Amino acid sequence: MTVSTTLLTVDELAPGKYWTRERKGGATLVGLGLVAAVLFGLIAESAEARFTLSDDAQGAALSINGKLGAVVFGAITVAAGAGLLAGVARRWFNVLLGAGVLGFVLSFLCWQVAGSFMPLVDTASGSLDLAVPLILGALCGVLCERTGVVNIGIEGQLLMGAFGAALVGTMTASVWLGVVGAITGSVIIAALLAVLAIRFLVDQVVIGTVLNLLALGVTGFLYERLMQTDAAGFNTPPHMQNLRIPVLADIPVIGPVLFNASPLVYIALILVAVIHFGLGRTRWGLRTRAVGEHPTAADTVGIRVRGTRYLNVLLGGVVAGLGGAFFTLVSTGAFGKNMTSGAGFIALAALIFGGFRPVGALFAALFFGFANKLAIYLSAIGSPVPSQFLNMLPYIATIIAVAGLVGRVRAPAADGKPYVKS
Amino acid sequence: MRTARGIQILAVLAASGLALAACGDAPEENAAGGDTAAEYSACMVTDTGGIDDKSFNASAWAGMEAAKAEASNVKTKYVASSAIADYEPNLTDFVNQKCNFILAVGGLMTDATKKISAANTGSQFAIVDSAIPDQTNVYPLQFDTAQASYLAGYLAAGYSKTGVVATYGGVNIPPVTIFMDGFVDGVAKYNEVKGKTVKVLGWDKATQQGTFAEDFTNQAKGKAISDTFVGQNADVILPVAGGTGLGTAAAAKESGGKYSVIWVDSDGCDVAAQYCSAFLSTVIKSVSGGVKEAVVAGAKGGKLDAAVGYKGTLENEGVSLGAYHEFDSKVTPELKAEIEALKADIIAGKIKVESAAAPK
Repeated sequence: MTVSTTLLTVDELAPGKYWTRERKGGATLVGLGLVAAVLFGLIAESAEARFTLSDDAQGAALSINGKLGAVVFGAITVAAGAGLLAGVARRWFNVLLGAGVLGFVLSFLCWQVAGSFMPLVDTASGSLDLAVPLILGALCGVLCERTGVVNIGIEGQLLMGAFGAALVGTMTASVWLGVVGAITGSVIIAALLAVLAIRFLVDQVVIGTVLNLLALGVTGFLYERLMQTDAAGFNTPPHMQNLRIPVLADIPVIGPVLFNASPLVYIALILVAVIHFGLGRTRWGLRTRAVGEHPTAADTVGIRVRGTRYLNVLLGGVVAGLGGAFFTLVSTGAFGKNMTSGAGFIALAALIFGGFRPVGALFAALFFGFANKLAIYLSAIGSPVPSQFLNMLPYIATIIAVAGLVGRVRAPAADGKPYVKS
Repeated sequence: MRTARGIQILAVLAASGLALAACGDAPEENAAGGDTAAEYSACMVTDTGGIDDKSFNASAWAGMEAAKAEASNVKTKYVASSAIADYEPNLTDFVNQKCNFILAVGGLMTDATKKISAANTGSQFAIVDSAIPDQTNVYPLQFDTAQASYLAGYLAAGYSKTGVVATYGGVNIPPVTIFMDGFVDGVAKYNEVKGKTVKVLGWDKATQQGTFAEDFTNQAKGKAISDTFVGQNADVILPVAGGTGLGTAAAAKESGGKYSVIWVDSDGCDVAAQYCSAFLSTVIKSVSGGVKEAVVAGAKGGKLDAAVGYKGTLENEGVSLGAYHEFDSKVTPELKAEIEALKADIIAGKIKVESAAAPK
C-alpha cells in the first residue's frame, strides 16, 4: 500500500507534466479501440449478431451485423480515448473512460456473437449470481479495512457462512433460520479475528490465513462426519425462492434480472447503498474512517478506537455470513467441502480494485462476475478465444489498479496496524 | 506479552484447523502389524480428494474392501494425501511398511509413483488412470471410459427435445476429456444414423478445446456453466467435474425437468441421491471392480503383469452405462434397444471408439 501512496504523491506534486492520468488512460483507450476496430473488424464474420432479450434464443432481440458492430464500437472507443488525450475537463474522465471500455467490450462481443446469439437476461443474471457473494464479501472487507483491520479471512467467513446456512437451514427446515445460521458461523470467525487482532495485537495477515485454515478444517470435518453420513438430516437446506417485484419485473432485461431475484440479491444491493451512505454521512461512518486513518487523533477526541473496530469487524462478519448463505441457499442446494473455492480472495481483490469503497467494490464485483460468465459463454459457443484469458482478466485488472496505473487506490492509513494506547 | 499470548492462541487455532482437516479422513488402518506368511497387505494412497470423495478414491477403497471380503488373507489400509506434496512420503511410508501391494489413486500421482517405484523395484505398485511404461513393478489400472460415454452421447442425442446437448469438464486432463470425446462421438453416431443435426456444446474433439470449470469443488461455477448451456438451448448435460457437477445437478432438479443430467463415475442415484430426479443415467467407471480384481489376483499369488495391466471396457464391465432410474419410462424402448445394439457392436469390435486420451 505504501508504494501506491508514494506514487500518488509524486503525481500530485507535479501537476504541470504532460502525461497525466487522463492522457495515459486516453492513449490506452485509443490503442484498444484501434485493435477493436481493425483487428476484430477484420476477422469478424459478416453475419448477424443477435442479442436476445430473454434467457434463451426466444423472443425479441437486438441485432447488428457483426463486422459492422465491431468496427463501429471500436471507433467509439477510439473517440473516447481521443477525447481524453485532447485534455477535456477532468470531470468527464469517468464518463469517457466508461464509454471507451464499454465500446471495446461491445466490439469484442459483436465479433464473437456474429452468426450466433447471446441471451442478455441469462448473461446479466449469471453475472449477478457469480457477483453476489463477491459483493457481500467485499463489503465485509470495506467494513473491516476502513476501520483499520486487515481481513484476509473473508474466504473462511464465507465458507463458515455457507456451512452454517446448510446445517441450520436443514435442521430447522427454514430458509431464514438458515440465514441466521450463516451469520452465526461467519461471526464466529469474525470474532476470533477481532479478538486476536485488536486485543492480542497479532499480525493481521497471519490471523486471516490461519482463520481460513481453521474454517476449512472445521467445515470439512463436520461435513464428513455429519453431512456425508446423513445428507437428508444435515445437508438438504430449503431453497430460497425468488422475490418478484410486481410491475418492475416486467421491464425487459432489467426486470427479470434485478426485480425477480433472490432476497439476498436485494439485501446485497441495499447494503451497498446503506454502507456507502453510512460511511460518508453518519456519525458512525465518520468515526470509522477516523479510526482507520488516524487512530491516535480519534482517541484524543474521545472516540473509542477498539470499540469501533470490534463493532465493525463483527458487522463485517454479519455481511460475509449473508454472502456465505448465498452459496448453499440460492446458488446450489447443498454444502460441499471447500465449496467457496477462493471466492473470498476474489472478494478481497474486488475490495482493492474498488478502492476500499462500497460502490467501487460493487462495480468491481460485477465486473469480475461478468468476466467469469463471459468466459463460460465463450467456451460454450466454441469461441477461438481461450477462456483462460477471460478468467485471468479480473486479476490483471486488480494488479493494474493496485499498481496505480489507471485508478487511484489508497488503503486507509492505519490499515493493519493494531492500536496501542500510549 | 499480550502479543505472545495471541500467537499462542493462533497456533492452537492453526493446529486444530489442520488437524481437523486431516482427521476428517478417519484412518481405519488395520491393527494387525505383523506379517504372517499368508498375509497379503494391500495399501492405498488416496489423492487429495480424500477417502470419502464419492468418486474414484471412494470407489478404489470399495474395491480394496471387496477384495478383503473375497480373499481372506488380504489386509487393507490406506493413507490420505492432503496435498500433492504428500504423495511421495505416503508411498515411501508404505514401502517401508513392507506392503505387498501399493495402490496410487489417480493420474496426478504418476510422477510420484514413477520415482518411488524406480527406487524400490522389489515392491509391487499399481496406479489408477495412468500407466508407467518402463516400470515393470507398476500395474496400470486404466479405463476406456469413451466406450461408455459413447453410449451416453447416443442416449443424450436421442433423448434431447431441443437438439442441443452439452458437456463440460473439471480441468483439461485425459481422464476427464476421455468422457467428452466419447460423448461427442456418440452424438455424431446418432446424427449419422438418424440424419439429424444434434449439436454438442462445450467440447470440440478436433481441437481438444472446450468448457472447463478449472475446479472440482466449485458448485456455483457448475451452475453458472449449466445456465449458460441451457441459455443456448441445451437440455441434456454431462458434467465431468466431480463436486462442481453437483451445482449442475442441483440446478437441473430446481428447473423441474427443463433439462437433465448424465452423471459420471458412480451411479448418481447412489452417490447424490437427493438429485436422482435429475439424472437421466450415469457413465459408470468401475474403479472398484478393477482394484478388486488386481488385489485378489495378487493375493492368490498370481503375477500382476505391468505390460498387460487392467483395462476397463464395456466387455469386462469396467465401464458401463448406468440405470435410467426415474427416467426409465421416459426413454423410449426403441432408443434403449439401439443403445444395447451399439454396446454389442462396440464389444464385438464393429464400432471403434477412439479418443486421444484412451489408454493404449
